Amino acid sequence: MDATYTPLPITIDATTKSISTTDPPLSTEISELNKLHRALLALDTPNQVPPPPAPVNPKRSVQINKLRESGNASYKKAAYADAIRVYDLAIRMASERPGWEASGLVREELSALYNNRAQAYMSQQMWPEGAIDAEVSVEMKKVGNVKGWWRRGQCLREMGRLEEAAEWVRGALEFERAGPEKGGLAELEGLGKELEAALAKA
Amino acid sequence: MDNTTSNSTFNSSSSSNSTFSDWQASRPPKSFWTNLTLPILYLTILIGSLYTFSSLYRARKLKKASTLAPWFPPHRQRDIYLSLLHLDPAEASESGDGSEKKLKQVPDSVLKAALIRRALEDIQRIVQLRGAKQALQTLLQRGSVGDELWQRFLRAEKEMEEEVKDVVNEANAFAPNWGQTIFQSANEINQNNLLKQRVAEIQSQLEAEKAWWEGRRAGIQSDFMKELEGDSKPIGTAPRKKSSDDDAVLVDADGPGEAQGVKKRKGKK
Repeated sequence: MDATYTPLPITIDATTKSISTTDPPLSTEISELNKLHRALLALDTPNQVPPPPAPVNPKRSVQINKLRESGNASYKKAAYADAIRVYDLAIRMASERPGWEASGLVREELSALYNNRAQAYMSQQMWPEGAIDAEVSVEMKKVGNVKGWWRRGQCLREMGRLEEAAEWVRGALEFERAGPEKGGLAELEGLGKELEAALAKA
Repeated sequence: MDNTTSNSTFNSSSSSNSTFSDWQASRPPKSFWTNLTLPILYLTILIGSLYTFSSLYRARKLKKASTLAPWFPPHRQRDIYLSLLHLDPAEASESGDGSEKKLKQVPDSVLKAALIRRALEDIQRIVQLRGAKQALQTLLQRGSVGDELWQRFLRAEKEMEEEVKDVVNEANAFAPNWGQTIFQSANEINQNNLLKQRVAEIQSQLEAEKAWWEGRRAGIQSDFMKELEGDSKPIGTAPRKKSSDDDAVLVDADGPGEAQGVKKRKGKK
């Protein structure tokens, strides 16, 4: 295997140790490589090798959790703009986790954060923002996320897109009937029924 | 004497039963070998022709296999890694101040990063192969695709196997036991990349949605105003007005319920 490869026009900078190329189609790949290289240099594991994904460095998780709690606190005080700002920060922090950390965890965190932000948007009647955030939340976690499904349905309804909302809630019920969260199911079913009724009337 | 001459003439003409009589004629070695020439010739021709045929056949098959189009495009990441590995930094490093500072060798961290990128590409290819295998097998059984495609697929599979082994070996050379986890890490990187792509995709709709909603809301408002002014066409605007009334009630109803929801979530974590 080692015997055959295509030599590529690559050069390496002696001081910054960054790699460059004279071949334009390669440049995106090379820039990705440099990014990864910098991420590796920031590691403090032995041998500077990415650790296995299973035990995650808890520092970042703690920070994200703190941010979420403070966001929730502002939300309760009805300081929605503040809450959105804090959630924003937490979302950025969660999505900037190094790539080799467990993706399941990232999903979980992003789902919860986007869900909270959607609720904060909804409290300010910013329906399109809420709908998008709820959709992201659902995309990250499809089952056991009744609130996310419900929020997007509600946002669509508020914007008068009844058919879309009804379709969305139908899909939601399919997922959630098999899911573990039975508590919120009634709410979702109620929304579905109201939408059907509104559609029948229109 | 007469007998022997006749025997020798006989010998020259035919080889069928001469061995026995030559034995008696006390010239055994020469005639023994001459009599073996025919079977030996026969065997040489047979084996020779078989060999030529098989080597020709094999050469042709090899040529055909080498003309099969590869399943994947060239492995960029692998090329980069190997180029870096074989790079002579003393020549290739382009430092501004020339000879004062030159790298003795390409730093390990760069090579590690390149190896991870390579593993990442491998993961994507393996996923692709796995996805294609079932469908391809079915198609092959039905005769919908030719055997050549299947050959190409098998070759790609074998190549990937070798490639994975190679990456594991390289990783173990950098750090003990890294070979066991490098593909796990690469897999997570792959998953995370997909995740982020998806989020970005959904979020990119935001501007359009916002613009749409602005327009829509303005429309509703102007309708409402018209209705207030004229009150001439209540039928057309009635349902819309009703829904906006509904909205106002619903917003109030949502607030406390969702606040509870946040509390619940806090309790869980």
